Amino acid sequence: MTDVKNLFAPTRRTVMLGATALLATPAILRAQSAPITFGTLTPLTGVGGTYGPSMRDAAANVFTAVNEAGGLLGQEIDLVSEDTQTNPEAAVRAVRKLIDVDGVSVVIGTWASSITTAVAPLCWENGVMLFTVSGADSITQLPHMGYIARTQPNSVLQIEVAGDFMLRQESTGMAWIGPQTPFAQSSIDILAGQAEGAGIGMESLIYEADKSTYRSEVDTILRSNPDFIMLGGYAADSTVVLRDIWQAGYEGRIIGPAYAVNPTVLEALPAEVTEGVFTWEGAPDVGSSAYANVQASLGVEEVDPYSAQTYDHATMAVLAAAAAGDASGMAIRDALRTISQGEGDAVSDAIAGLEVLAGGGAVNYSGASGPCDFDEIGDITGTQFLFRQISGGTPSDFERV
Amino acid sequence: MLDLLPQFLVNGIITGALLAVPAIGFTAIFAVLRFPNFAVASHATVGAFAGFVANVTFGLPAIPSLMFAFLIAGLVGLVSDEIALKPLRRYGALTTAIASIALTIVLENVVRFFFGNDLRGYDLPLVRDIRFGDIRVNPQQLENMALAVVIMIAVFAALKFTRMGKAMRAVADNPGLADLKGIDAVMVGRVVAFVGMGLVGVGGMLFGLGTSIDPLTGFRFILPIFAAAVVGGLGSIPGAVLGAMVVGIGEEMSALVLEPAYKSAVGFFAIVLVLTFRPRGLLGERAY
Repeated sequence: MTDVKNLFAPTRRTVMLGATALLATPAILRAQSAPITFGTLTPLTGVGGTYGPSMRDAAANVFTAVNEAGGLLGQEIDLVSEDTQTNPEAAVRAVRKLIDVDGVSVVIGTWASSITTAVAPLCWENGVMLFTVSGADSITQLPHMGYIARTQPNSVLQIEVAGDFMLRQESTGMAWIGPQTPFAQSSIDILAGQAEGAGIGMESLIYEADKSTYRSEVDTILRSNPDFIMLGGYAADSTVVLRDIWQAGYEGRIIGPAYAVNPTVLEALPAEVTEGVFTWEGAPDVGSSAYANVQASLGVEEVDPYSAQTYDHATMAVLAAAAAGDASGMAIRDALRTISQGEGDAVSDAIAGLEVLAGGGAVNYSGASGPCDFDEIGDITGTQFLFRQISGGTPSDFERV
Repeated sequence: MLDLLPQFLVNGIITGALLAVPAIGFTAIFAVLRFPNFAVASHATVGAFAGFVANVTFGLPAIPSLMFAFLIAGLVGLVSDEIALKPLRRYGALTTAIASIALTIVLENVVRFFFGNDLRGYDLPLVRDIRFGDIRVNPQQLENMALAVVIMIAVFAALKFTRMGKAMRAVADNPGLADLKGIDAVMVGRVVAFVGMGLVGVGGMLFGLGTSIDPLTGFRFILPIFAAAVVGGLGSIPGAVLGAMVVGIGEEMSALVLEPAYKSAVGFFAIVLVLTFRPRGLLGERAY
């Protein structure tokens, strides 16, 4: 008679088999049932709230279209959207949820540089690909192992281009005023260097964000009698600064980034306050078919640069995963430059790109924000800039460089 | 830099006067209900947006719009206190204060739900500053400051001469004794929640008149309001006015010695200094 006790006694072989089965089970289950999960992390609220919802929608529409066309690698793409609240602490909580709970392999659309700087280490440590629209040059200098790609020109390039513009407009005294951001000091240094090269004066002041008045700061900056002031903040504080500068009786010229002197600021301020103010931005490729795709999917006439970029992020994530045959963050990182640049067929949307890839071909994606070619640290190359001037509360194109 | 000192002083007095209005509301609520109601942040926002609706949607001038802001922020303050905070008061001031932080997040998002995140400006003509020698002042600022002073005088008069004002002071000074005298502390608490948050709402709109508003408008003032009340003496209404002046002038004058990026440090520094050397605040905690 068999000993009942011995029947259930674990042997080395049964323990090994059991452990192996246990370890293998979740992986098998994942492979069979889990859809591909991508995340957006845009500023739905806070000072970036003007752009975040549209940025999310631009990316979501790409995934919806791909799902309707049969999905990616035979699976549905699940999209999880979180809000950064334009606040680094909230953004870190949100990205933790995206990575730890939702298991995303891609995070799309971080906007403010302080937020990208805060969430980037969590992404690269967890092998998650981060597509961003932030400009601070310090971001791509982080040890990100290729897990960061940004479609926004970096702040060095942005400030150099704007500083050149100020000098072309024959400025005789420049000033920079803005809040504490990861690009504040580098902006001041670049502008100071350009002013020194041109033999003119340059004054700067870093103020505290989120104050209701900057009268004393404006008094301080106007002591040097600048004739061209560059704004370095975001929309909420730039509204206050513009009003305070105007009330102080300043008659010189002002230039601000287009995300700071944006349509909501123009709406909130009387036209005389913004009269003659210049804006500049990394311009979307308005003539591209990808730009037309975003126009159609969002149902808008003019696509803001950030929504154009998140459309590109989503499309590149899909194409890179398809090219790699794997939707993990590492696979997308490794395959990114094979679909964004090179000798492949030029494509401007995910569906067309997937068809080429399925046929064994190679693709070179050209996006709504520009050619989407990346250098070795993840910075975009080959961007256009658009300068505009505001008149009667409406911006009109001034110069494209 | 010292040549800017008189200008910074004027800027500080104007900021201080505006800060005093919500600080009075905050400290009055503390005096009677005995907890720091951090929901002042969202009530300032509610007041600013109520004033915006009155001014831009209904086309009312500034002063009726301020009255509308007072009414709506006061009503929201009363209702939210009854629903969210009053049931928690018996668990202690800390519990209620934490609940008030949650309440402020809820209300801020309610405003965001209806109005979105966009910046909005009041429909008031913008004028350039007037110069008195080297000092410049904006007529709108002078008007706002005058309104703030009138509101402060009205609050002081109400506390001194009206029956409800005396009842409020009595409950603030000694709730037990006030109860023995037959004063209905619950009703006084409701009036204080209404008037206190109404004043905070007016403060939110007064700040908005000089700038523009968004759902985070009130959140930006929470530290200076709290600092003003603590510096003056939590629960003391004249103390709130004095504290607001100290914080307002201190923040503006700090530009002489500190980088402007550290302006908020003045509020924290004032709180630390007062709590260290005079924990009851400059004027103690007597309500009036």
